[in-house]
This record gives sequence, C-alpha cells and structure tokens, in this order.
Amino acid sequence: MKPILPILAAAVAAIWSSAFGGAQLDSALALLARIEWNTSLQQDVSAKVSLLQQKAGQGVKNIEMQFYRRDADKSFLIVMTAPPADKGNGYLRVEDNFWMYRRNTRSFQHVNRDESIGGTQAQGDDFEDRKLTEMYKPALDSAGEVLLGEEMLGAIPVYRLTVIAKAKDVDYPRKIYWARKDNGLLLKEQSYALSGTLMQTSYFLKYTAIADRFVPVEQIFIDEFEKGNKTKMTLAEIEVKPIAKEVFTKAYLENLSQ
Amino acid sequence: MTLLLRISLRNLFRQKRRNLLLGSAIAIGMALLILANSFANGISDVLFNRIMAFVTGHVSVTFTQNGNRMSPVFRDGPRMLEMVREAAPEVAQIQQAIGIFSRAIGNGRADNVILVSLDLGDTATASYRQDLEANFRLIAGSYENLTNGMFDYPVLIAEDKAKYLRVGMKDVIKVRFQDVEGRQQAARLTVAGIFKPANAFMSAPVFLNLPDLRLLAGYGPKDIPQLYLVLRDPTRDALDVANRLHAALQPPLASLPGQLRFQGREARANAFGYRVDTASRRATGLPSKGVFASASLAEALSLKPGDLCTLSYAVKYPEPGDSTAFAPLTLTGVLPDSAAIDGQALLISDREFYAQFYSRWPAAEAKAPSNGSAGRAWRPDTSHPWLPYLNRQWVLLERTKTTQALQKKWSGITRLKTKATTVDVSTMYETASMVVNLEMALNLITLVAVLVLFFIIQVGVVNTLRMTIRERTREIGTMRSIGMRKGEVRNLFLLETLSLTLISGAVGVGVAFLGMRLLASIAFAVDGNPISMILIGGHLHFVPKAASIALYFLLIMGISTVTAWFPARRAANLQPSDALRHFG
Repeated sequence: MKPILPILAAAVAAIWSSAFGGAQLDSALALLARIEWNTSLQQDVSAKVSLLQQKAGQGVKNIEMQFYRRDADKSFLIVMTAPPADKGNGYLRVEDNFWMYRRNTRSFQHVNRDESIGGTQAQGDDFEDRKLTEMYKPALDSAGEVLLGEEMLGAIPVYRLTVIAKAKDVDYPRKIYWARKDNGLLLKEQSYALSGTLMQTSYFLKYTAIADRFVPVEQIFIDEFEKGNKTKMTLAEIEVKPIAKEVFTKAYLENLSQ
Repeated sequence: MTLLLRISLRNLFRQKRRNLLLGSAIAIGMALLILANSFANGISDVLFNRIMAFVTGHVSVTFTQNGNRMSPVFRDGPRMLEMVREAAPEVAQIQQAIGIFSRAIGNGRADNVILVSLDLGDTATASYRQDLEANFRLIAGSYENLTNGMFDYPVLIAEDKAKYLRVGMKDVIKVRFQDVEGRQQAARLTVAGIFKPANAFMSAPVFLNLPDLRLLAGYGPKDIPQLYLVLRDPTRDALDVANRLHAALQPPLASLPGQLRFQGREARANAFGYRVDTASRRATGLPSKGVFASASLAEALSLKPGDLCTLSYAVKYPEPGDSTAFAPLTLTGVLPDSAAIDGQALLISDREFYAQFYSRWPAAEAKAPSNGSAGRAWRPDTSHPWLPYLNRQWVLLERTKTTQALQKKWSGITRLKTKATTVDVSTMYETASMVVNLEMALNLITLVAVLVLFFIIQVGVVNTLRMTIRERTREIGTMRSIGMRKGEVRNLFLLETLSLTLISGAVGVGVAFLGMRLLASIAFAVDGNPISMILIGGHLHFVPKAASIALYFLLIMGISTVTAWFPARRAANLQPSDALRHFG
C-alpha cells in the first residue's frame, strides 16, 4: 500500500507554496510597476539640476545645469551653468543622435550614450526614459522565493524588493529598493556590481507631486566603492509644460551657451 | 698580380705611420657607420617589436558593439579568428587584447589604472614571452603566479603604481570598471608580481591573465575582444597583411533562417534585418522600427498587423539542452509588392534584428524543417534591388592611411545609423603613428649626423691618398723606367688602397662591436624621461645586421677605390722621365 498521507501532504504543500510564491511574484511585479509609474512623467519637463559632488581628498565641486526633456520622443537637452570651467558646455539627444557641445571650441561632437555628463558619474543613458519593468525583474533566492520583504526604514514602513537585470545593457545588474508601503515611493536604493559588490546607495530625500506623479527633487548618491565620495542632486524650478521643438536643436544649444 | 700584391703590401707596411693614421680614419668611419646603423635598428626593434607589439599590435582588428568604442566585442570569435588566420598565415601571433580603464583602490590610496590582458596561453610564442619578460622585468613575484591558481585574480603591477597605491605582494587592490556590456563591475585583485617597466610606455598597465580579464569584463566563451597581430617583419608586411585582411573580412548578408509559428501554424521563414538610415528608408519605404512579413508568409500563417508570432532558429553555439533560439515578434505589416520578395521572409528593423542576431548567433545554414512545415524560405540573389538595404553580419570600416583619418573614422562610428558591430583593420602606421614617426625621426637624425662625420673623414682620406701618390711620383718614374707598365702602376696603387681599406674596415667592425658592448653596458637613469622609451632596462639597445655591415664594407671599399683611381691613373700616365724629374 502506498503511503498516501505523505504524498497528499507534499501535494498540498506544493500547491500552497506555488500559490503563495505566485502571489509574492505578483506583488513584487506590482510594486516594481508602481515604482515605475510613480516617477514616469508623461509630459515635457524642464528643471534646474544641481549636483554637489564630494570626492575623497578633493573637496566639493558644484555642478549646475539646465535640463529640458521632451516626452514625445524622449529627446533631451542639457546646458551646464556651473562650474565656470564647464559653463556653456552641453549635451543634446534627439532620437539616436547624442551630441556633446564644447563652448570653447564651439563644436559639436557625436558621442556615445555612455558618455559621462559634465565629468560626473551620470551618463547619457541615465537621462533616457527607459522603463524600469523592461530593465529589471524581481530576484529569487536559492529556494525560488521572491526577494520581497517588509521592514521599517527609520519610522516608515517599507517594502524591500531585490531586482535583477532583464537586459544586459544596464548599469547595475542587481538592485535593492526600499519603497513606501502606502504609495510605493522609492526611499532608498542599493546598486550592486556584476560581482555582487555593493557600489552605490541612493537616498531619495524629498519628492514633489506633479499631476498624479512624483519627482524626486533631492537625492543623495553615496559611493560605496570609494568611500568618502558622494553626490547630492537637487532639482529646482521644475516646469511641466510643452517645450517648443526648436529647443531640441543644435542652434538652440549653441545660443543658450553664449 | 701576386707580385703587384706583394709590392703593394710591402709599400703599405713601409709607410707605417702614414698608413696607420689613414687606416685609423677609415676604421673610425666604418665603426661609426655600423654603430649608427645598429643604434637605429635598435630603436626600430624597441619601438616596433617591444612597444608596438604590446600597445597596438603591428596590425589590429578591432570591434565596436552598439556604436560604443568602450565595448569592443565580436560575438562569433572562432569564425573571426579562423578568417584572420586564413587571410594572413604569416602572422606570428594573434593576441586577444583587452584594455579597460578602471578605478583602483589600494591601501588608503586610489588611482586610475588600465587593466590589460596578458595572453600566456598556447598562442604565446617563445619570443613574445621573452620580450614580455624583458619589457616588464619582475622585481617580485613571477609570471607563473598569473596562471598557477595560487592567487585570486592575480595581477602584475608596475613598481611606481604599487608604491602610489601602497600595495605590496599579496595585497589586494579593489577595482571598479564597466564591463563589455556597460555594466558596473567590481573585483578584488591580488598583487602577484611587481615589475620594473623597460620604458615609460610600459608603466601604466596592471596585467591580468587573459581568461581572468575575459571573465571579469563579461566576455562570453565565443566572444573575442580586439585582436593584435604580431608580425615577424612588421615594416615590410604590415600594410600588405592589413589590406589582405580587409579584403577577406567583407561581411556576408545576415539572416535568421528558421520557423515562424503563429497560433499553432508553422512555416519556414528567413528573417533579415533592414537598414534604417535615411537613404535606405526612402528607398524601401519601411519605418525605423518594425517587423514586416512577405505576402506569402503572411498568407501561409494568416498573419495580420499586431499579431504576436515566434521565430525559432538553430543557434551556432548551442548550450546543453538549448540549441534553438526563440524570438517573439509583433508584426507591424506586410511587405509591399515593391519588395519583390517571392518567398517566405521577414524583415526586421536594424536595432531589433541585431539585438536578436548577436544575442544568439544563428547557425550558418538553414536547417530543413523537421516537422513538414510548408513554404519556401526566401533569400535574395545578388541582383535583388533590396539587397543593399538588408543588414550584413557586421559593418567593415574603410581602410585609412593616417592617424587623423583613423580618428575621424572612429569618431564617426557613433554616427552610424546601425547597431551592427563594426570591424576595423588598422596598421601601426595609423594606430601608433606617433611611435612610427619617432622611429623615423630618430633614424633620420642618426643617419644625417653619421653621414656628415663620414664625409669629413672621407675628405681627409682622399686628401691623404692624393698626397701619398704625389710624394711617390719619383718612385713611379723608377718603376716605369725598369719596365712596369701603366696599368700595373695604376693597379699597384689601387691594390695598396684596397688592402688598407680591407684591413681598416675589419678593424672598424671590431671597434664597432666593442663600442656597442661598451655603450650598452652604461646604465642611464632616465626614469620618467621620454628617452627611456628607446632604452631597454636603462641601457642602449643595438641590433647589428650582417647585411648592413657587408653593405657598409662594400661602400667604403668602393669610395676608396674611386678616390684612389684618379690619382693612380694620373701617376701611371706620367712619362718615366717626367716622373723621375718630379720634386715636391
């Protein structure tokens, strides 16, 4: 006679585990989609971006730029306004073209999307509007469980979600998000290298609500690899209104940098 | 003739002091020529064989993925290597070269370093290994440490860099860099050797074993980084090899031959990429993004725009249990009649096509349908009007002749309206023209200086010969009056000069080798000075060549013969009575 009870118990456990695991995955996917939705502005936007960059042993550098983004084709234009050495330099991306403008030589140079912006760690592709859900998916642990948990971040209850890259061409193959339980706003993010080394921790300190979405206006990026390096990014003068197509042209950038 | 030779030798030794001085001048001239030539050869050897072979290769085949020069990868490595070997069998070594800019942290100090691969595998020739050890003389550790498995990610680092990062043997250096896909990567490297570079060019790299760096940089088993080809005679062969390679690397048409499935139906299909640059789009009328089926394929599967179908095809490099690739495709439309495609085909826009093509490289030939799926997969013939607008397996960049042209070509890669991998063939004359120009300038300076010196010496030699013959006019008269013929008198003087030149030349060769040995033994303290580039371990490097020495010997003999010919002939033509009366 077959031992029917253990088989039945295993089957029930499998079904329960599968159902629960599936629910967890759905929750994780929903959270990822919510994080993406929260910050995806479906409008043209312009803002003044300020980066306070602190490098170990090199003091503090203040980088300021004016940023314009067109929603229709994800074009963007950046003009540096500080420091004086970089003032007038800019970047323009229209469709697949990405140009760097140098004010002192008054020349445009075709560059790659991996080009550093103003000598910072920010790259051209950081300003692209790639969908989070297309780049990442929830990570599973060795038992096949979705790495989604609940904890407190200070006094705020948050979800802790680990994601891994779906696409190859992302900066960080693994990330951990801490997002508010009530509205899915991202509060903290840790980014890991391919080797699993923690490279960067980001804190999203302040958001501003625009329409039904949120824009992080104050963020801190802490370099976990080279201790002592950190960058504070602040967004100000955010405007959400249609931007004229002439803005996303070489002539406009050249004119703006005068 | 024997008598003449005996008389000429006797005369030579009779005038010891004069001939000693004259011979010394010829010997010094000969020694200078050989020294200068060997020094110039040494410079060429250092620059071409010891620097260029490591820095850019004599000929290089480089790849750019996705228009990003920081992503040098070719996905079908075995085939590319085979094509290179077939087209240029005389290549002494094909090095897979990886160089990655990285941020390194040692003990409390950080600096930028370049991670460079060292290929110490089977392809490394004995001379490569020898040059490697000469260029990067280890003062701690060993080259075996890179491969013996005793260290985690072992590296060899320059003495100066180790000092700056405050690391010693077995210390750990943390590095951060972007891998070949652009992803952040971090690693802990262990110092397994510290080297003293032979020259200024060689102090920047931190060396890792090729397989280690391939793994860290995200190269797959069939991917290859850029290729540096080392030639036995680079100055003679580099251009020829590059041109031949360029001709052999013309890209074939790219296609994904397989099966298209939709709602349980299946048909054979061949998927091609279509170009999306303005001219191509104007010619085909296709948009910059989309998937289009031929009319017969759409009909066979009842496909309409918006349908999601799946293309499956056999991959070239199957993994265990995974020999077929599946590509989900959403149909944008059906191809217009103007496409003139009379079989089952899919056209996929450039970016989407290459993303699939490079992620799972297809098997070369379409496999026959195993399940009886109907239809005839289409393939364009060479005269098909749409052929120019279909994607190739890679884009071969035009050959360039100068560094400026090469840089312009490379900067233009980001402007290409394609996601195809670019393949470029360059020689050291383009990639390292600065080094080539330096070599030419140094050789020219050496040659001019030596020629000026040699000319001054030769003026002295000619003058001395003329004086000698003039002084011996009465002797000529005596010889002529006792019956010696004109030709014999002339030959006597020529033989005398040739004997002197022969002996002096031989002495000059000896002096040159002695001089080379002495000069090469002097150690120059030129750390940080660009001149260290042409030194090996702080010492001058001479490369004497037998053919050059023989040539110089013949040159000096020739000059001496011409110099002696005219006064000897004049002396021989004198009337014996006039010669005997000659005074002064």
